[in-house]
Amino acid sequence: MQAAAAHAHGTREAIWPQDAQFGRASAGKIAMWIFLVSDGLSFAGLLLSYGILRGESEVWRHPDEPALGVAFTAGLTFLLICSSVTMVFAYEAALRGERKRTALLLGLTALGGALFLLGQYSEYFGILHPGLTKEGLVFGQSAYASTFYVITSFHGAHVFSGTAYILVTLVRWLRGRATAAQIELLGLFWHFVDLVWILVFTIVYLIPTG
Amino acid sequence: MSESPTQAAAHGGTSRARQYLTIFFLLFLLTVIEVAVAYVHGYKTEVVVALFALALVKAACVALFFMHLKWETRVLRATVVVPLSLPVLYALILISEAAWRRLAG
Repeated sequence: MQAAAAHAHGTREAIWPQDAQFGRASAGKIAMWIFLVSDGLSFAGLLLSYGILRGESEVWRHPDEPALGVAFTAGLTFLLICSSVTMVFAYEAALRGERKRTALLLGLTALGGALFLLGQYSEYFGILHPGLTKEGLVFGQSAYASTFYVITSFHGAHVFSGTAYILVTLVRWLRGRATAAQIELLGLFWHFVDLVWILVFTIVYLIPTG
Repeated sequence: MSESPTQAAAHGGTSRARQYLTIFFLLFLLTVIEVAVAYVHGYKTEVVVALFALALVKAACVALFFMHLKWETRVLRATVVVPLSLPVLYALILISEAAWRRLAG
C-alpha cells in the first residue's frame, strides 16, 4: 500500500481525486466543444434578434421584395446532410486506418461544402438566373433583407472555413501527419455547421411570412 | 451504454455504417416533411410548432449520432446541452410575453 502511494506521489492520480469522468474526452475534443457551444450562442443571438424583429414588425416582407426559394434551399440542405454522412464515414475509415478511403471521403465532404457555397452565391447573385440582389432583396433596405443576409452569410462563412479546414486536414492526412482523433474534431465542426443550417433553414426559409 | 465508434474500432467491433445510413434517411425524410408542412395554408400556429419540432428532432439526430454525443460522458453532454437550452428558454419567454401583450391589447 505504501509502495503504491509512493508510486502515485506526484502523478495525476495523487493530485486529483478519483473521478469516473476524468480522462474520457481529450483536451482537443473539450476545446472544440467549448468553441462550438460559444459559436452556437452567437447563432442563437442572431436567431433571437431575427425572431424579435419579425415578431414586432407590421409587415415582414414588403410586396416588392422577393420570396426566398424554399425548393432550391431544401436541395442545399440535402447537400449538407450528404456531406455530414461522408464525414462520419471518413472518420470511421480513419479509425480503421484506411488511408485512401478516408482521403476520398474527406474530398467528397469538401466538394459538398464547395457546392453549397456555389449554391449560396447563385442564390445571392444569380448563375443562369437573376439572384435575390437583382430581384430586389437589398441589404439595408428592410429588416427582412438585412437579417436574411447577416444570418445566411454568417453561416456561409462557417461553411467556407469548414471547407478550408477539411482541405488542410486532407493534405495533412495524405502526408501522414493527421490522426483519426484530429478527423473527429474536424467532423465535430462540420456536423455543427450542418446542425445550425437545419435551424436556419427552418426559421429563415420555412416559417410562412403571410 | 453501447460502444462509441472509437471504442468499437479499438475493440475490433462492427461498423456503425447501418446506423449512420438510418440517420441519413431519417434526416432526408424529415426534410421532405418539413418542406411539405411549410406549404400548408390556414394553420399558421400549428405549422410553426410542427416546423420547430421537426427541426429539433433533426438537430438532435445530428448531435447525438453524427457528433457522437450519445456516447460521451454525462458531464460533457450536460456541458453542451445546458448552455444551448438557455436561448430556447429565453425565446419561449419572449414568445409568451408577446402573446400576452397581444391578448391584453
